[in-house]
Amino acid sequence: MQSKLKISTQFLVVFMLGISISIMFMVPIFSSSDVFTLPKSFNQFNTIFLSILIEAIPFVLIGVLIAGFIQIFITEDHIRAFIPKNKILAVFMGCFVGSLFPACECGIVPIVRRLIEKGVPLYAGIGFLLTGPLINPIVILSTYMAFGNDLEMALYRMGVGFVAAVAIALVVSFLYKSNQLKRMNKNQNAFLKEGKRQLIGTRVSEMFKHSIDEFFDMSKYLILGAFVAALLQTYVSMQFLFLFGDGLIHSTIVMMALAYFLSLCSEADAFIGASFKNIFPSTSILAFLVYGPMIDLKNTIMLLSVFKAKFVFVLFMLITSIVFTFVYLTSFL
Amino acid sequence: MQLNTQHLLKAVLIGLFTLFFANLHLTGDIAKYINPKYDFMSKLAVGIFFILFMIQLPRIFQGKRTHHVCSVHCSHSHDHGHGHWNFAKIIGFAIVAFPLITGFTIPPATLDSSIAANKGSILSQISSGQKEEKSFEESLMENSESLTEKENIDIYSSDHIPLVNNNYLTEGELKEKERWLQDSEIIDMSEDIFISYYSRINENPEAFAGRTIKLSGFVFKEGEFAVNQLVLSRFFITHCVADASVIGFLTEFEGADQLQQDSWLEIEGVLAVGNYDGYELPIVKVTSWDVINEPNEPYIFPIQTLVQ
Repeated sequence: MQSKLKISTQFLVVFMLGISISIMFMVPIFSSSDVFTLPKSFNQFNTIFLSILIEAIPFVLIGVLIAGFIQIFITEDHIRAFIPKNKILAVFMGCFVGSLFPACECGIVPIVRRLIEKGVPLYAGIGFLLTGPLINPIVILSTYMAFGNDLEMALYRMGVGFVAAVAIALVVSFLYKSNQLKRMNKNQNAFLKEGKRQLIGTRVSEMFKHSIDEFFDMSKYLILGAFVAALLQTYVSMQFLFLFGDGLIHSTIVMMALAYFLSLCSEADAFIGASFKNIFPSTSILAFLVYGPMIDLKNTIMLLSVFKAKFVFVLFMLITSIVFTFVYLTSFL
Repeated sequence: MQLNTQHLLKAVLIGLFTLFFANLHLTGDIAKYINPKYDFMSKLAVGIFFILFMIQLPRIFQGKRTHHVCSVHCSHSHDHGHGHWNFAKIIGFAIVAFPLITGFTIPPATLDSSIAANKGSILSQISSGQKEEKSFEESLMENSESLTEKENIDIYSSDHIPLVNNNYLTEGELKEKERWLQDSEIIDMSEDIFISYYSRINENPEAFAGRTIKLSGFVFKEGEFAVNQLVLSRFFITHCVADASVIGFLTEFEGADQLQQDSWLEIEGVLAVGNYDGYELPIVKVTSWDVINEPNEPYIFPIQTLVQ
């Protein structure tokens, strides 16, 4: 029975290989004939879906390479020496390092997972996760330019984003004692002892092997996220967002929902945000700019692959309520 | 020597990813998905995928017993391909294979009016927007103007226009184009300068009333247009197709109702100040028009100036 199952799965693999190879040869045939006609909207969907992936995959590759590097070269001792014992200091540390670290919201997930596995406390890791994609030179520059070379919005974005990230990470530090990972490394110490004995060449090739496995692990969730985001763009009219009426609270909620469902890369979202400046007050646009990089649809699905579902849900609620509150408060400034 | 099917499959998929990204650049299809300014990132991806492919190749023949050095110590939050096949793994590989299959088989499409309708055009945003917000925009404009004076920045090169892009113009060329916008007989909305002219005209429709304009775009009809009205639209893409926004001019001419959504037109007409739902906007009174094929560069990208 066991061996039968093994044979059939092996057959399946060969079958899939066969399909992918035959696809390569059939491309010219398909594209030149009318035999293969899909609904037009599917082509539109597919273009948007692939464009999100083409945009995100390079960043994910860099993310998994860094994660592989951390796995092989950074030891628990390094991290212990680096992260302050004090919870609050550790939260600030996480947020600060994230601010210096240029990443996008999908590339940072594997890095955070690897850091937490290596013993970085959950709250510091979350601080890093939140500020990494939000505060970095590229994002700040694009925000500055998108708002007509006005520094105000870029400064607000950084300032409010940083304060909100610290607040979220602090709440996490009081709510959770454990690291909330789905699966945990048990043999880190064995690695430390062995790791030192390995040659540098072996370790580099180990790093790449880890990166490959991590890539397959992460890209599944990225692809699912991109799939859903592209479906929404193709088949759901964004007009429904405008039905909720006027008022600052309404428009802020609308912009946050938009940030979540569009799942834009934090480097591009400033221009989309700016295109709403005729319709919505600047406070609501600020909410869009701060919320989107912290959490969005494709990044939620990726987080679900790393953290326990319950934790992801709590984190989602925390980010949503705290960002909303802080952004709303700025309207009284 | 034992064949490890999971590692084999990973190698094939990485190989296909390498080919897919390389192919996008070789065919030039990359511009149908992302702003070519991200050329570098996706070229880098080709390189990284290729390295990963070379690293992955020897693992194909790594038996289930002969573990690589790491497997003693890193117990796993990710899969190293030693386990047996199960349903979850098959689904996982199928998901990763999916974009490769659609990417190789289905040619990229140009976004059309159905997407524009979902995103909502400028007009529908105006009609649902509040007019008080204009003061916010005006204050932004004042800021940028004063900044221009202070720092002697060329406002046309940077205002509303983002970072880097392959849409290169030298500062001199851009200045010249700006002069054409002021003086030329016909305002020619070519792809390279479209977004700059577009924002200038929309900021101050009165200043351009009576001028002749020439542009091309696709037909987009929505809402309660008069029979002789349609929006001649383009998609403006900052980063990738997923962040496209719709820009365009409301146009008026006899026979507009005969035209299908998404057909591409080249028009010439006279700019006038129109009114849509109580909001002033430029309208093009078309004097002549032609149906054209979809241009090679259907999308409008932000402008980048070369500063010497």
